[in-house]
Amino acid sequence: MTNTIYTVKTSPFSGLGRMIGAELFKLRKRTMTKVLILILVGIITLVNFLLLAISKVDLPGGGPGMGNIRDMLGLPSAIPFALAMISSFGSALAIIMAANSIGNEYNWKTIRTALISSESRFKFLTTKLVSLTALVLAGMLIGVVAGFAVGMITTAIGGYSFNFGFATGSYFWEQFLQFWRTFYVIMPYALLGFLMAIVGRSAMPGIATGIGVQFLESIITMFMVLAGGWIAKVPNFLLSANVNAITSLNDLPQGFGMGDTSNALEAAPSIPHAFITLGIYSLVFLALGYYFFKKRDVTG
Amino acid sequence: MTTATIMENQSESEARGEVVLRVIGLSKRFGALDAVKGISLELRRGEVFGFLGPNGAGKSTTVGMILGLITPTAGSIELFGVKQNGNRWAALRRIGAIVEEPAFYPYLSGWDNLEVLTRSIGGIPKSKITEVLERVNLLDRAKDQYGHYSMGMKQRLGIASTLLRDPELIILDEPTNGLDPAGTKEIRDLIPRLAHESRAVMLCSHLLHEVEMVCQNVAIIKQGTIIANAPIKDLLSHGNRLQIRVENMEQAASILGALPWVKSVKREGEFLMIDVPPDRGASVNHALAENGLFASELINSASSLESVFLQLTGGASGD
Repeated sequence: MTNTIYTVKTSPFSGLGRMIGAELFKLRKRTMTKVLILILVGIITLVNFLLLAISKVDLPGGGPGMGNIRDMLGLPSAIPFALAMISSFGSALAIIMAANSIGNEYNWKTIRTALISSESRFKFLTTKLVSLTALVLAGMLIGVVAGFAVGMITTAIGGYSFNFGFATGSYFWEQFLQFWRTFYVIMPYALLGFLMAIVGRSAMPGIATGIGVQFLESIITMFMVLAGGWIAKVPNFLLSANVNAITSLNDLPQGFGMGDTSNALEAAPSIPHAFITLGIYSLVFLALGYYFFKKRDVTG
Repeated sequence: MTTATIMENQSESEARGEVVLRVIGLSKRFGALDAVKGISLELRRGEVFGFLGPNGAGKSTTVGMILGLITPTAGSIELFGVKQNGNRWAALRRIGAIVEEPAFYPYLSGWDNLEVLTRSIGGIPKSKITEVLERVNLLDRAKDQYGHYSMGMKQRLGIASTLLRDPELIILDEPTNGLDPAGTKEIRDLIPRLAHESRAVMLCSHLLHEVEMVCQNVAIIKQGTIIANAPIKDLLSHGNRLQIRVENMEQAASILGALPWVKSVKREGEFLMIDVPPDRGASVNHALAENGLFASELINSASSLESVFLQLTGGASGD
């Protein structure tokens, strides 16, 4: 028998397309991907219906925040509110997705098979990140659509007005920007989960670190603010304060934007500061991920 | 014979024997541990090469270094005549390997797992998936989820995956692990066939009997060092012994021990075990008869790879 040699072009970016195709094929076939998106849609639906139920409670004096809750149930707030939930709860899901994406290759020991079937480690990791980005964006889009659909339902059930006067070009432009801002604030957490899964050679360290940082940082930040002095300024260089600064641009009533930090911080970081800081974190997590993945031996 | 066939045969005979893997002075240190210490190996096209060693001897580390999963501390690796530095995709495309154990995505079917590989490697037609699954008798279970496969089926899928890219070098780590006797025989029959198809096969196995049956050359690694690297028939001839039953054992031992070509004489129960070259049976008998001793039994006890392995590795379990 004469062996057949299949020819494939090789260049710095050759093969990336087909490798991404293989990765998306795996993700599409995986139940967990669908479950995570279903959880996101479920949470958005649940929160909206809870708000609807609360809005219908007849409190003596009307309740000081009832007006805001009813505003949230209106159609104009449906998209920004969905994005606000995506920025907080969606981040946790993105962390799980990112850590699983690379960590399970170690858990299932498929990393060896995958690497000897990939043109390079750089391309393998790039494939993972591109696919992850595509999946996060798709999840966010589904979340927004679900949020708007649920908003229509709650509007109908709650007997609120179906006035589409808000749907102007500037409104959609603002939502478009907020969509990308939300993506921007999710990425540092997702990349941290990705990095720690590489460092720990398993999904769990990535999930634990990512979610741990997401939830514990706000508590630690609070203590730092209470300490005062220069320590109170440290949170401005951490993740959550900067994430909050960006998500507060969603123009939602206080307490609903998931980003209002006026009570927690003496002075929230400026928007450019927040963008730069989060960008640096994302780049550092990304660079470290590539560095460790390229440098370390695949054993065990 | 057609011109095409003649040319094919010529190219095959030229291809046979070409060195596909050459490892020179390969070392790997993990912290304070020298996992592999300056080993050298050579594997030729058409050859089935057995790579043996006890647990933790450095087999998987060596395979990992060959495949670029582990960076060597020192030494060089040549694949298909090209010294490997940095990216070795050009060589990896010509290699099919199972490292340590077959590993696939548990939520995908056997077919889908192979499809992921064909998409990732590129340039492999989908018909190849059917072909390799048929070859390992897994086509009828191809749509079942990998997570539900038995160990034997996982092994078959592993072998199928190595054949996907029509490799010129195949590295198999314990390929019959978990297979039933019929499956073991199938794989044992398949391995020499693969080598006859002008491929080189590196077989890491602890089933020494299996290695003995299919390999032409063997390297035994212990504590990171190659302690034997030779054609299997040479290795086996080294441990050749004559087993003799004779009445006066002390006298016989003393007579035989004095002969220059006798390496050792040892009493084991009712027998004398004599370490001699395999063609010296008649000379031993003659020497005893000259001294009035007559052997009632004289058995040429050819050593097995297992006994050679245990002797060389000091009785460590083979893996």
